[in-house]
Amino acid sequence: MGRQAQFSLVTTLRGVLVSFLYYLLSALSRPVLFGIILVPVVAGLLGVLLPAFNYFPALGSSQFSGAAFTQLLATPGLLKMLCLSLFCGFLATWIAFKLNIMILASFYHTPWLNRIEQGLSPVLAVPHAAAAIAIAFILTPSGWLSRLLSPWLTGSNMVGDSWLPNDPWGISIIIGLVFKELPFLLLMSLSVLKQANLRVRLLQEYKVAISLGYQAEAAFIKVIFPQLYPLIRLPVLAVLAYATASVEIPYILGPNNPATLAVTILNWFNHSDLELRFVASAAAVLQIVLSLTVILIWLGGEYLWRRARSLFMAINLNPWAPFYRFCTGVTLILFAVILIVSLGGLVVWSFAGYWPYPAALPNSITGLHWQNAFTQLAEPISNSLLMAVSSSLLALLISLFALEAASYRTATKSWLEYLIYLPLLVPGVAFLFGLLWLQQALFSDAVFLPVLISHLVYVIPYVYLSLAVSYHNFNPALIRVAASLGAKPCKVFWRVKIPQLFAAIMVAFALGLAISLSQYLPTLLAGGGRYPTLTTEAVALANGASRRTSAVYAIMQMVLPLLGFMLAAWLPKWVYRKAQA
Amino acid sequence: MISNRDNLTLSSVVNGLIFALYVILHAAAFAEQTVYFYAWGGSPQVNQYLQWAKQELATEKGIHLQHVKLADTSDAVSRILAEKAAGNLQSGSVDLLWVNGENFASMLKHNLLAEPWVDQLKNFSLTRPEKNPAVLKDFGIATEKREAPWGKAALVFYYHSGRVNQPPKQLSQLIPWLKKYPARFTYPRPPDFYATSFLKYAISVLNEHQADSIKQQLYQPVTEKSFNILAAPLWHFLDELHPLLWRQGRYFPSSGAQMQRLVDDQAIYLSYTFTAAEVPAAVSQYNLPPQIRTYAMQDGSLSNIHFVAIPFNAKHKTAAKQVADFLLSPKAQAKKQQIEVWGDQTVLDMSALNNSQRAMFNTLQRHPSALPANTEFKLLSELHPSWVDKLNSAWLQRYGVF
Repeated sequence: MGRQAQFSLVTTLRGVLVSFLYYLLSALSRPVLFGIILVPVVAGLLGVLLPAFNYFPALGSSQFSGAAFTQLLATPGLLKMLCLSLFCGFLATWIAFKLNIMILASFYHTPWLNRIEQGLSPVLAVPHAAAAIAIAFILTPSGWLSRLLSPWLTGSNMVGDSWLPNDPWGISIIIGLVFKELPFLLLMSLSVLKQANLRVRLLQEYKVAISLGYQAEAAFIKVIFPQLYPLIRLPVLAVLAYATASVEIPYILGPNNPATLAVTILNWFNHSDLELRFVASAAAVLQIVLSLTVILIWLGGEYLWRRARSLFMAINLNPWAPFYRFCTGVTLILFAVILIVSLGGLVVWSFAGYWPYPAALPNSITGLHWQNAFTQLAEPISNSLLMAVSSSLLALLISLFALEAASYRTATKSWLEYLIYLPLLVPGVAFLFGLLWLQQALFSDAVFLPVLISHLVYVIPYVYLSLAVSYHNFNPALIRVAASLGAKPCKVFWRVKIPQLFAAIMVAFALGLAISLSQYLPTLLAGGGRYPTLTTEAVALANGASRRTSAVYAIMQMVLPLLGFMLAAWLPKWVYRKAQA
Repeated sequence: MISNRDNLTLSSVVNGLIFALYVILHAAAFAEQTVYFYAWGGSPQVNQYLQWAKQELATEKGIHLQHVKLADTSDAVSRILAEKAAGNLQSGSVDLLWVNGENFASMLKHNLLAEPWVDQLKNFSLTRPEKNPAVLKDFGIATEKREAPWGKAALVFYYHSGRVNQPPKQLSQLIPWLKKYPARFTYPRPPDFYATSFLKYAISVLNEHQADSIKQQLYQPVTEKSFNILAAPLWHFLDELHPLLWRQGRYFPSSGAQMQRLVDDQAIYLSYTFTAAEVPAAVSQYNLPPQIRTYAMQDGSLSNIHFVAIPFNAKHKTAAKQVADFLLSPKAQAKKQQIEVWGDQTVLDMSALNNSQRAMFNTLQRHPSALPANTEFKLLSELHPSWVDKLNSAWLQRYGVF
């Protein structure tokens, strides 16, 4: 009797605590989300804008002037830098976008689409730095590809003086960016196509087009693409903004004579001459203008396309269908070859002993590089994991409750849905540097907290967007049933939504892990180099003395996020099985 | 049944939250007896040596040495400057910094160094500063005992003997050699340390024939006039050299480390380093082919000493001094000089050591890729640090954009 009373007291207390937590978090999550996204970006932008106009009292300059811009414009090769950033960013996005549409058009409504999705989604989890290192391994004139082709095809036993990687036109950068962004665009498109309110209607319209005699590719482009594009426009623009301002890929694969604008900004900010910070800030403002320009060019192109849409629609695409299919096939095969050769190359290099050119395989195999790396990897790995788990858990919590709070609001589409894209659209090199002075003033001693905040700026949008898809697709009938049975929102949330969404929550969590694990600039800048992670170490070693050590780091960088996704796929099944038993 | 499961999920969520909070608070409070040693992190040998030092320091002195790996030492200098600008005068992030040359000069100029402290180190006397004044000078500038010597280096070259019969033995042989082996040499892009080292070597050798009064200006603060006179033969030489370089001089590697990798890739056959022992070490780690041979140029080798310094606002000054003292100890210096570890020459004076200490340095094994023991050096002094910025910016102006 006593024990039962005690038990029911505990249950009641727990119930009170749970509903208290629910309402507290629901009330807080949206303002918190708003703050975490908006404050760092806006403060960071202010932090570069003021020094760009020479206002930086700590450096003894409290007069506004345009001197920094004058100095910036006098930089040798500035025009080349701008062209390089613009060219690489635009072309890479355009190619990735085009390939994405081609793959969708060729495989829509076939089992292949799922297979391709499964094949490409691991690439999404690969950090940009690791992908760049892997691609550098293929492109380098002493890499595996050229070893496999020498001497029987190249006719030479000597390593050629090739342009790749680090070519002056940025072709290596474009290859790296396309390789990373295509899976992102594809998965974003697929999540739109799977939306509950769209899926059936689109499929019916598509079938009508097929029965009217359109080839599959033509039907997709004429019927589905015009409806799909507005829904993936923001992700495409995010890719565009990222591609023009990213640092890791151009740093590892790009030229340095001159480098892209973003890499140059990084170099200037890091220079011991503090006066260069003014120019760097001015350049950061220029970077924002550049990214905006590219986005405007894209939107301009889109406008023209819409104006001329009736023209395009009139083109008979049926004869082109085989060509489309051929191109898609070639692309996918090329993608698979790059994936296999680069991954294989990394693995072989990480175990290679002496390996003279042009031998296809090393003379000996050794575990030395792994052994050496593991004595040094313990700390970066534990740092990476600690940061990834903390930031993803927080992001998950905030996003989940923000979505929950939003689901009881009347407005169909809130400003939050757009705000969430802000960190993805504003170039990181611009606002992260501006954040430095704020961080110096607020927590000059802390390491973990500033890194956590700057990771959250990037982790939250992805976790939120990933969860939002499942939340919007959640069957409303289930909630109505629960509500008509008298369940309060709190109970519906814990008892109906969480169990139903468990798999989606785990995927969002794994995505958060992957995003946090891949962050280079936020970790480096916010931590002041005092928070070594796998990614910062891998980038530091990417152009270092040992190709073999670099391979070990790149592999480790790929393994961790993949483990997260595997866990996410396995855990719901395990929990479910345990509950059934 | 179902509700049990939900409670399970719920309690695991709550537990997860508590764990996350705990982890965050715990990590924020973690900062005791730690020395943040900011040191260039591009060499596996150096990193492993510091890993060893970390273990020794933990057991011997209870100090947690945290190696912060820098891509470039100037990153740390700019951080300290930023801290000073932001008014952080007591609890800077850098406790100890591996530094020399222009970075030291710039720290001295901006008053970023702690008050003279080197005499407090027990092991400093083992360098016999009265006999070896070099340990008190950093690229010609007096250290004011604000930095402790750590190691010694001279610029040596190495080449792939399986691909090359005869490497260039003098700067003047480099261009004819490159005509025979097109594109098989390069040097990094300034302002990298190895880039300026090559430029300094070249400008010293190319002005060898000048009158002493002109030559001496390389070791004095640079002026517009002296720069124009002394740099002219350098530009002439580089104009001729660049089209023969790897990638025709349109892309330069970013560091000396990257050059070593290019030699391993057999993209280039000739390179150079300040740490001669790094070459056999890299060979035994398979990071260079076994046919690599090391030699010194006949027309001179640039030589210098590298140091560790404590910033003015270091948070753990006492512990940082203990680390510096440990790095100067015969045990740590002997370990550092071992070829299979790092191979960096000691700054200790052998005559100041007792027999058992001296014996620790005698474990050197000969390696075919190592610099021959009887190598004769003609040492070239480092230029006055003011030359570095001038050379770099002039280089970037002339060759920085292709």
